[in-house]
Amino acid sequence: MKLPPARCETTEAYLAEAGPHLASLCTACGACFDACPMVRYSGLAGADAKAVAMGLRQLAVGETANPDTVAWVGVCAKSGLCRSACPEQSAGLDAMLLIRIARQRAINDTRQLKPKYDQMAFPRVKTFARLQLTDEELAEWL
Amino acid sequence: MAVGPDRITFWFGCNVLRHAELIRLSIMLLERAGYDVSAAGGPAYCCGTAHDHQPKAASTMSGRTVSRFNEAAASEGRGTVVTWCPSCHMHMADIMSPGSTAKFDVAHVTEMLADSADRLAPLLTVPVKRRILLHRHLGFRTHVPVNDRVRALLSRIPGLEIVEGPAQPGHMCSSLAAVPGALAVAAGETWDAAVANQCDTVCTIFHTCHRELVALEGRQNVHVRNWVHLIAEAMGIGASDEYRGWRNGGAPDVAAIEKAGERNYNTLIEPELRKPSPLPGSA
Repeated sequence: MKLPPARCETTEAYLAEAGPHLASLCTACGACFDACPMVRYSGLAGADAKAVAMGLRQLAVGETANPDTVAWVGVCAKSGLCRSACPEQSAGLDAMLLIRIARQRAINDTRQLKPKYDQMAFPRVKTFARLQLTDEELAEWL
Repeated sequence: MAVGPDRITFWFGCNVLRHAELIRLSIMLLERAGYDVSAAGGPAYCCGTAHDHQPKAASTMSGRTVSRFNEAAASEGRGTVVTWCPSCHMHMADIMSPGSTAKFDVAHVTEMLADSADRLAPLLTVPVKRRILLHRHLGFRTHVPVNDRVRALLSRIPGLEIVEGPAQPGHMCSSLAAVPGALAVAAGETWDAAVANQCDTVCTIFHTCHRELVALEGRQNVHVRNWVHLIAEAMGIGASDEYRGWRNGGAPDVAAIEKAGERNYNTLIEPELRKPSPLPGSA
């Protein structure tokens, strides 16, 4: 797969630019929400899909969104069905990336979502590596 | 150095380091397929996908990793980065490369091996008399048709019967583990389908699914193997799955624990190995 050309000098800059751009393409039709297999775990079955999608647009530009949108982006597991369900995909809207950015903004900007991060993840994988890898593998691979 | 089509970097990611044999066997398969392989992974090659709460740190990590692969392309002619982890692959395609100039292509290991299936097939000489349920997820096919690629590879194994399991949400089980109730449903549906279809083996595709499902090893006489294990088995190559043993009451030998650090083992590793299985009520 050929990778797309860089649009910015850092991923942080790219995501800052991509959020408002993707939000501008979104019509808040709710097709992404309707296609999502994780809705059942968000407590949002039967919620207004358009209202949830409208919250995506708000989060992607750093604005506070309704609690339903925050709950939904919080359970995203990258199933990807939103991407093909989005009627604006051909216009360049990557719904999965929009949801990812909305989630990041909900964590870092609007602070409506608590991050799920294991602070010991790296020390743990390093310890697993030392349990199994030879000294040569440790030196060459890591 | 000129980029060569057969010179690759195998970027295995971070969490597959729980399963060293999957890394070693993948390298072996890529080499048998004709590639010159240099492996790289662990935190020093982090993609940054798990650091959504630290955008600047994630940006620094991903930029560093892209730079290292650019350097491998320039100095060693390794113009293709071959991924194992779907999180790394998607992050590279969707976020890392738009934010850093990448001077290499990306492919998934299952794509590389499926494209070389005719070359690998003559090596699959040992019948593997198993009826497997292929544990699948919905995700990642936005980028790579991984379920189809694994099935294509496994279909070359003599004696192997393949049943496709229900496609679960997410791109792998770790994405469900963070959502209350989701992993138990996925594991339960997978196991139920294996039993209902008279399968003796659940075949995992990704490491985090393997990590979770091996805790159910032997339940209702169903065993857990990764697709790489099955290919190795068909090649007559023994591959011990140490994590599966540890997760089911075993433990690393004393020398390995000393090398890893006893305190680290006790605080970081043992709690994971002894946590409850993903299915309530199972051992």
